[in-house]
Amino acid sequence: MVESPIKNSSALDDWCERLLHSLEAPSGPMAACQAQSRNQLETLSAPHRRQEAWRFCDLAPIAELEPRQIRSLGEPSAPSVSDQVTRLVLGTGQDPFAGVTLPKGLSPLSDAELKHSLGQTFNLATSKGQWPVALNQAIASQVIGLRVRGTVDNPLELVCDAGADRGVFAVRVLLLLEEKAKLELLQVQLSSGANLTSVLVEAHLQSEAKLRHGLLAFGHPQAALLAHLDVEQEPSSDVSLVSVCQGWGVIRHEPQLIQLNGGAKSQLRALQLVQANQLADTHSCVRFNGPEGTLDQLHKAVAAGHGRSVFNGVVQVPREAQRTDAAQLSRSLLLSDRARIDTKPELEIVADDVKCAHGATVSRLQPEALFYLQSRGISPDQAAQLLLRAFCDEVICMLPSTAGAWRPLARLLDGV
Amino acid sequence: MTSQSHVGQLVSQPYKYGFVTEIETEKIPKGLDEDVVRLISEKKNEPQFLLDFRIRAYRHWLKLQAPDWAGLGYPPIDYQDIVYYAAPKQKEKKNSLDEVDPTLLETFDKLGIPLSEQKRLSNVAVDAVFDSVSIATTYKEKLAEHGVVFCSITDAVNEYPELVRRYLGTVVPSNDNYFAALNSAVFSDGSFVFIPRGVECPMELSSYFRINSGDIGQFERTLIVAEEGASVSYLEGCTAPMFDTNTLHAAVVELVALDDASIKYSTVQNWYAGDENGVGGIYNFVTKRGHCCGERSKISWSQVETGSAITWKYPSCILQGADSVGEFYSVALTNHRQQADTGTKMIHLGPRTRSTIVSKGISAGHSANSYRGLVQMGPKAVNAKNYSQCDSMLIGDQAGANTYPYIRSQQPDASIEHEASTCRISEDQLFYLQSRGIDFEAAISMIVSGFCRDVFSQLPMEFAAEADKLLALKLEGSVG
Amino acid sequence: MISLDAPVLIEIRDLCACVDDQPILNGVNLTIRAGEIHALMGRNGSGKSTLSKVLAGHPAYKVTEGSVLYRGEDLLPLEPDERSRIGLFLGFQYPVEIPGVSNLEFLRVSTNARRLEQGLEELDTFAFEDFVRERLGLVQMDPAFLDRSVNEGFSGGEKKRNEILQMALLEPLVAILDETDSGLDIDALRIVSGGVNQLANVDNATLLITHYQRLLDLIKPDYVHVMAAGRIVRSGDKALALELEQRGYEWVDRELDALEMT
Ligand SMILES: Nc1ncnc2c1ncn2[C@@H]1O[C@H](COP(=O)(O)OP(=O)(O)OP(=O)(O)O)[C@@H](O)[C@H]1O
Ligand SMILES: [Mg+2]
Repeated sequence: MVESPIKNSSALDDWCERLLHSLEAPSGPMAACQAQSRNQLETLSAPHRRQEAWRFCDLAPIAELEPRQIRSLGEPSAPSVSDQVTRLVLGTGQDPFAGVTLPKGLSPLSDAELKHSLGQTFNLATSKGQWPVALNQAIASQVIGLRVRGTVDNPLELVCDAGADRGVFAVRVLLLLEEKAKLELLQVQLSSGANLTSVLVEAHLQSEAKLRHGLLAFGHPQAALLAHLDVEQEPSSDVSLVSVCQGWGVIRHEPQLIQLNGGAKSQLRALQLVQANQLADTHSCVRFNGPEGTLDQLHKAVAAGHGRSVFNGVVQVPREAQRTDAAQLSRSLLLSDRARIDTKPELEIVADDVKCAHGATVSRLQPEALFYLQSRGISPDQAAQLLLRAFCDEVICMLPSTAGAWRPLARLLDGV
Repeated sequence: MTSQSHVGQLVSQPYKYGFVTEIETEKIPKGLDEDVVRLISEKKNEPQFLLDFRIRAYRHWLKLQAPDWAGLGYPPIDYQDIVYYAAPKQKEKKNSLDEVDPTLLETFDKLGIPLSEQKRLSNVAVDAVFDSVSIATTYKEKLAEHGVVFCSITDAVNEYPELVRRYLGTVVPSNDNYFAALNSAVFSDGSFVFIPRGVECPMELSSYFRINSGDIGQFERTLIVAEEGASVSYLEGCTAPMFDTNTLHAAVVELVALDDASIKYSTVQNWYAGDENGVGGIYNFVTKRGHCCGERSKISWSQVETGSAITWKYPSCILQGADSVGEFYSVALTNHRQQADTGTKMIHLGPRTRSTIVSKGISAGHSANSYRGLVQMGPKAVNAKNYSQCDSMLIGDQAGANTYPYIRSQQPDASIEHEASTCRISEDQLFYLQSRGIDFEAAISMIVSGFCRDVFSQLPMEFAAEADKLLALKLEGSVG
Repeated sequence: MISLDAPVLIEIRDLCACVDDQPILNGVNLTIRAGEIHALMGRNGSGKSTLSKVLAGHPAYKVTEGSVLYRGEDLLPLEPDERSRIGLFLGFQYPVEIPGVSNLEFLRVSTNARRLEQGLEELDTFAFEDFVRERLGLVQMDPAFLDRSVNEGFSGGEKKRNEILQMALLEPLVAILDETDSGLDIDALRIVSGGVNQLANVDNATLLITHYQRLLDLIKPDYVHVMAAGRIVRSGDKALALELEQRGYEWVDRELDALEMT
C-alpha cells in the first residue's frame, strides 16, 4: 500500500501532534536524532486499520492517553536481587549506571559510539519509517548503550516501571556484542496506569556472539506497550528472543531479525495472554540474507474474555539463503466465545534447497487431555489450570533465569 | 551437470493448444461504457432484470480500483482496448450438432473434446464455449429426462428466467470485488446447471472454454444449483491460442447447495501461459464461490492450474448450513515467468461445519507461486473443524513459493490446524527410481505426480489421468 | 558355485572414489563371475555402501581413478537407470521413501523398463498384477503393501522385503544387497534368504554386504572379502567369515599395519 504524502488525520494523528508540541526542545546527545524523528512524524501517518500490517491492531486507545512525555518514573516495585544479577533501573531521572558495578565484559557506550551505531539496524531491517520506531526516537532522550566483550557471567536486568503516571515514556536500548561475546538479559516492563511505554531495542551480534533476551511485560488494562526489537546477526551468532506479555490494554510487539550473511541461529519464543478487552499483536519478521541459517519460532497465545490476539509471522528466504532451515509454529488457545484470534504466517521462499515448515493451530484446551486428567480424579477447573500452565510453561521456561524472581509470573494465569 | 540443474531444464514444454481457428467472427468495437453493456444485453435478448443487474454492476465497477494486495506484477490493463463481445458467425443458435459449423467442431476435436455425438465421451455431457458464446451443449435431452438442466447461461436466461433471477449474484454479489463487478457488467456466456430435488445427476457435466480471438476478454459466468438431496460433478477445461499480447479472462462461478446436496467442481486450467520470457498469456482473474446454505450440504473444489500468465483465484466455500462440508484440493504448477496467487477461503458460519484444504504448489523457472487462504470460524461455528495442508515444491533456485494462510477464529469450540512444508526433489529419491531403471524424466514426473497425488485422487476418474499427463507434459523437455 | 570358465560379470580395478572431495574408496579390486556369491564385510564406515552406490551410479560419488567393466563393457559412463536396465541391481541399506508414488505403479514401470531392454514385451496392468502377486509369494509380503506409497511408513524389515521383491521382479544379473539382513526378524531372514537363494543361478551373481554370519549360514558365499579404509584387504572363503565372527576385525588391522610397515 502506498503511503499518501498528505497526512491523514485520525484521532491518533491529532494525539501525536499534541504530544510533539508538548515535548521539550531536543537536547543532549540524542538531540539530532530526536529532531529528525519529530520531523518525520510530522508527515508520517499514524497506523490505521486500512494498512495490511495494522488490520487487526487498533491503536485508538492510545489516543485516549494523555499526550505528554513522562520525564521521570518512580522506583519500581521489584523483587530484591541476588548479587549474581546486575540490575539497571530506567527512567527514574537518575543515571541508571550510578552506583552499579557492571559485571566484567559489560561497558557503557560513549556518546560518540552511540551516535555511530544507533539506527544502523533499522536501515537494514526496513524498520525505518515505521511509526512506533519514529515515535520512540522522537521522545527518547537517553539510550542504554552497552558493549559486550567476552562472556558476561552475571545476567543483566533492565527494569522500567511506568507506574500509574499518565503520559508516554520511551525506553531505548542498544547492544553491541563483539565476537564470541555472551549475554543474558531480562528486560522487565511494568505499568499500572493509563500510560504508553515505547520500547526500542537494537542489537548487533558479531560472529559467534550469543544473546539471550527476555522480555517480561506486565501491564494494566489502560496501559499500552509498543515494543520494537531489531536484531542483526553475523554468521555463527546465536540469538534467542523470548517474550511473555500480559495485562496490557494494547500491546504491539515487533521482533525483527536479520541474518546478514545467514549461518546464524535464531530462536523466537513468545507468549501473549489477553482477556477482558485487551489486544495483543505480535508482528515478527525474520530474514535470511545468506545460506545455512536456522530459525526456530514458537508463538503462543491465550485469548479469554473479549480479548483479541493477533500474530503475523514473516519469514523471508531469498535466493542466496540456500540450506536455510526454518520452522515456525503458532499455537493459540481460544478460551471464550467472545475472544478472537487472528494468525497469519507469511513464508516467502526463493531458494530450492531449504527446509521451511510452519504450522498453526487454534482450538480450546484438548478435551481428551482434560478427560484424561479428570479420569485421574482431578477436578475440571484444576485440570484446565494444569493444562493452561503447561501450555504457557513451554515459553516461560525459556526466559532468562532471573525471571523467576518476578512475582507476577506466578499470577500470570490469574483470571484467565 | 548436477541432477538439480537437470530438473530445472525439464520444466518446459511446447504449448499444444496454441493454434488459432480461422473463422469469421462477429465482434463489437473495442471499449467499454454503459452503451456497450446495453449492447451485450441486447444481443443476448435479455430480460430487463438482467440488464438492470449489469448496469448496477457497471456503475459500481467504475467506483472500484483494481486490487493490488496480491503483489502481482503486470502493467495496468487498458479496459478500453478490449473487445467485450465476439462470436463466431453462425446463423441461429443450433438445435442439433449437425448444424454447427464444422470448423468449430474440428476445433474442439483438435482440443480433444469431440462434440459430435458418436465420438463423445460416453458419460460426459459437454457445453462448449467459444469466445463469448456457447456453441453446443451435448446430451441436453437425456439430462432433461432426469429433470437436470444443463445449458448455456444465455439459454437459461431465456428458458428459466426465474431460476436465474433467484440465484444469480446471490453467492458472488455484483459488487463483491473489482473483477466480479466487471464480469457482472459484461459477462457473455458460461454454463447453467440445475439439479432438482433428490436427483443424482446421471453423468459428469463439463464445460470447455476456448478463447480464440486475440483482443477479446472472456467473461464467463457459471451458475450451478443443486436442490435438496441433489448431487452433481462438474468439470471445466480451458485453453487459448498463443498470442504475444495478454488476454483478460475474468470469470465468476457461483455454486448453491441446498440441504443434503453435493457439488463437486473440478478445473483443469491450461490457458496459454505466455512464452519463456513472459510475453503474452492469459490474465486469469477469477471469482469462484460456493454457498453451502443447506444443512449437510457439501461443496468440493478441485483444481489443476498449469496455465495463464497470471492466476488470481480463490475458490471458496461459505459453510452456512449446519454440518456442511467444504473442500479444496489444488495443484498449481508455474514455470518461466508465470505468477499464480491462488488458494481458498473457508468461511465457517454454521455449527459442526468441516473443511479440508490440500494445496500443492510447484514452482519452476522464474515463476512465483503463492498460496493465499483464509480459514474463518464465525461465532456460531460450534465444533467446526478445519484441516489445511499446503506444500510447496521448488524446482531451481530462481522460483518463488509463498504461503499466506490467514486464520481467524471467534469460536473456542472450533479447531483449526494448518501445516505447511517446502521441499525439492531429493537426489536420493531420483537415484532410487533411476536405479530401478526408470529414466530421469519419468522419475521426475513420477515424483511430482506423487507429490500431487492427494489432489489428483479427488479428480473425476477420466480427468485424473488427463491432469497427470498434462503435468508430465509441462515437465517434459530437453534434458541437458 | 565356482567355475573359473564362467563369464566375468563385473570387474573392478583400482577403483577410487570420493564424495565432496573426500576420498572414500582407495583402490578396490574385485572380480565377480556368473554363478558366484560374494560376501563383503568390514567395519562400519569402511566403504561398503559407498562401493555399492558407486557401482549403481549415485551422482554424489565421483570416481577419481580405476575402472569397472560390466560384462566386458565400461559401466561408469552409464546413468543409474541404464545400469538397472542392463541387469545391475542394488538393494539399498536405507531405501528412501517417496510420498504419493504408488508402490505398484513404481514396480510396474521399473519392471517394464527392464523387460523392454531384455526384448520382452511390456506387461499391462493386469498381467503385471498377476506377475507381482506370484513374486510376492517369494518374500511372503502382504499385497496390501502394493497400494501404499513407495516405502512410505514401511517398517525397517518391510522396506528390506520390498527391496527383495524388486529384485525378484527385475531378475538382475548382478545383485548387490547392502545389509539386506539388518532389520529383519528371524522368520523374515529365513524367507528373504530363501528368496535370494531361489533367484541365484549359474547365470547371475550376488554380492552380499553384511555384518553377520547368520546370513551367511543361510546364503552360502563362495568368497568372503573384508573391506577396510576403502580397500579390500583380505579375501577368502567361508572360513574367513567364521574367523571374523570369532576374532573381530582387530587382527585384520594388525595385519594391515604390518603390511604398511613393510
Ligand atoms: N555422502 C557422504 N557424505 C560424506 N561422507 C560420506 C558420504 N557417504 C559416505 N561417507 C563416509 O564414507 C565412509 C564410508 O561410508 P559407507 O557408508 O560406505 O560405510 P559402510 O562400510 O557401508 O558402513 P556400515 O557398515 O555402517 O554401513 C564413512 O566414513 C561415511 O561417513
Ligand atoms: Mg553401509
